[in-house]
Amino acid sequence: MKKIKWTIMTLAILTSVGGALATRPTQGDCRFAQQYYWAGWGYFPTGQWGVNYFCDASTNTCTYITDGVGHYYPCRIGDYRVLPGITNSKVPIVKKK
Amino acid sequence: MLKKQTLLECIAGVLIALFLYASLSKFMDFHTFTGEMLNQPLPHYITRFLIWFIPVTEIGMCIALLFERTRLYALYASLGFMTLFTIYSIFILLNFFGRIPCSCGGVIKRLTWRQHLVFNLFFVGVSVWGIILQRRKMFKSIIIN
Repeated sequence: MKKIKWTIMTLAILTSVGGALATRPTQGDCRFAQQYYWAGWGYFPTGQWGVNYFCDASTNTCTYITDGVGHYYPCRIGDYRVLPGITNSKVPIVKKK
Repeated sequence: MLKKQTLLECIAGVLIALFLYASLSKFMDFHTFTGEMLNQPLPHYITRFLIWFIPVTEIGMCIALLFERTRLYALYASLGFMTLFTIYSIFILLNFFGRIPCSCGGVIKRLTWRQHLVFNLFFVGVSVWGIILQRRKMFKSIIIN
């Protein structure tokens, strides 16, 4: 019985450690880059995720990243929302059409 | 008897896999996890406590599930944890907080809140099943002794 027990436990531990390693974000993950949000007339840098802003559940693009030469690419999914009270955003939020 | 014992080990194994994966994925991307937790519609002093409490408790439960002596406590803790997550998912789905935050935690974050609810309910069931089997086993061993 002990053999069965430790086989099951080893499998469970290896599966979870392997799964966590396989799904961990890499340095190339867009979330590590500076995020921008679309304010209706331009892109503006966001504050800190979870502190200054969050992304409400939706299929829209919440934040973007830039390649530095004027191109912006979608990163986080959702609707951009400023967290009340603590924000460093300089412009009001305009929902992207 | 052997079949039931194997089933109990499988239940403990499934719960260990769930909690260990959940806690490791949080620690491996702690910055994002912190943001996601602060993103939840709860007061920040609670979330700042939960940021450490949840992954540390998950690891504690995994260790307790490994050993016969502590398994029943771990199964109760697992039931409590999953019940709280289920209640939270129901509140989110009922729009109790006025907004729908992200559902977070490794691959689990790809689930919608509805799928999250089903997922949580499944593990509530698994924990209850584990408690029943473990209690029966302990009761039998008391009678035999």
